[in-house]
Amino acid sequence: MKMDEISMSSLDNSKLEAVAQDILSDLVEDACLGLCFEVHRAVKQGYFFLEDTDQETMRDFEIVDQPGVDVFGQVYNQWKNKECVCPNCSRSIAASRFAPHLEKCLGMGRNSSRIANRRIVTGNNTNNKSESDQEDNDDVNDNDWSYGAEKKAKKRKSDKVFALSLKQLFHIFCNNIFATSLSFCFS
Amino acid sequence: MSKDSKMRATINQKLTEMGERERLKELLRAKLTECGWRDQLKANCKDVIKEKGLEHVTVEDLVVEITPKGRVLVPDSVKKELLQRIRAFLAQHAT
Repeated sequence: MKMDEISMSSLDNSKLEAVAQDILSDLVEDACLGLCFEVHRAVKQGYFFLEDTDQETMRDFEIVDQPGVDVFGQVYNQWKNKECVCPNCSRSIAASRFAPHLEKCLGMGRNSSRIANRRIVTGNNTNNKSESDQEDNDDVNDNDWSYGAEKKAKKRKSDKVFALSLKQLFHIFCNNIFATSLSFCFS
Repeated sequence: MSKDSKMRATINQKLTEMGERERLKELLRAKLTECGWRDQLKANCKDVIKEKGLEHVTVEDLVVEITPKGRVLVPDSVKKELLQRIRAFLAQHAT
């Protein structure tokens, strides 16, 4: 009985193996037919030979491998040192700084609207002082935000208004008191 | 013999129903593309087309020329891997 069982299982195995081989051959034939259909359609629709180009055109578009030049043969840092004239404020700006400058100069773009919003808010908080906007702005910008510092400097230059920050006023005030107290002591 | 063919029919049905046949097809396609079989056969197709003429080539022409070559050119590693998966499926679902 045992012998029979063993031979039965090996028969099963060989049958299963045959089935597996048949399945594989079906799958391969499927793949071949699929390829034939694809190629035939490409031929009849006219796109089969599309990627073949002649040698001469291939040479025209070869990759360029020279220093200082990109793969297309164009010089890639020729705009680094050029300067552009801003159409708004008529200043000469370096090319790499041109886009951010234009953003602030024209008052468009994300950052300028954020700054404008903040100015409105801080302007509302402390009104009645003519210099309130600029003072508060500078105060807030004491937090070492780089663009804030840039704005502070730019505002000073472009507006040409002598605006003092609260800190500076305070210092002057203290110095005054110190000076008067000294003179008081020595008088 | 009919028991055999019955068993085969059941297996094939299960293969299709469980989606395993599609997965195996995809796997085979991917492997054959990877190993360059497709490109080889495409080059053979180009020869057939040039021979028969672009306007007049038929599917039959291609099939007759390409299928036998295709069968032979499948690499052994791909065959092995596919067979492994088929055997695993059979072991799970054939009895």
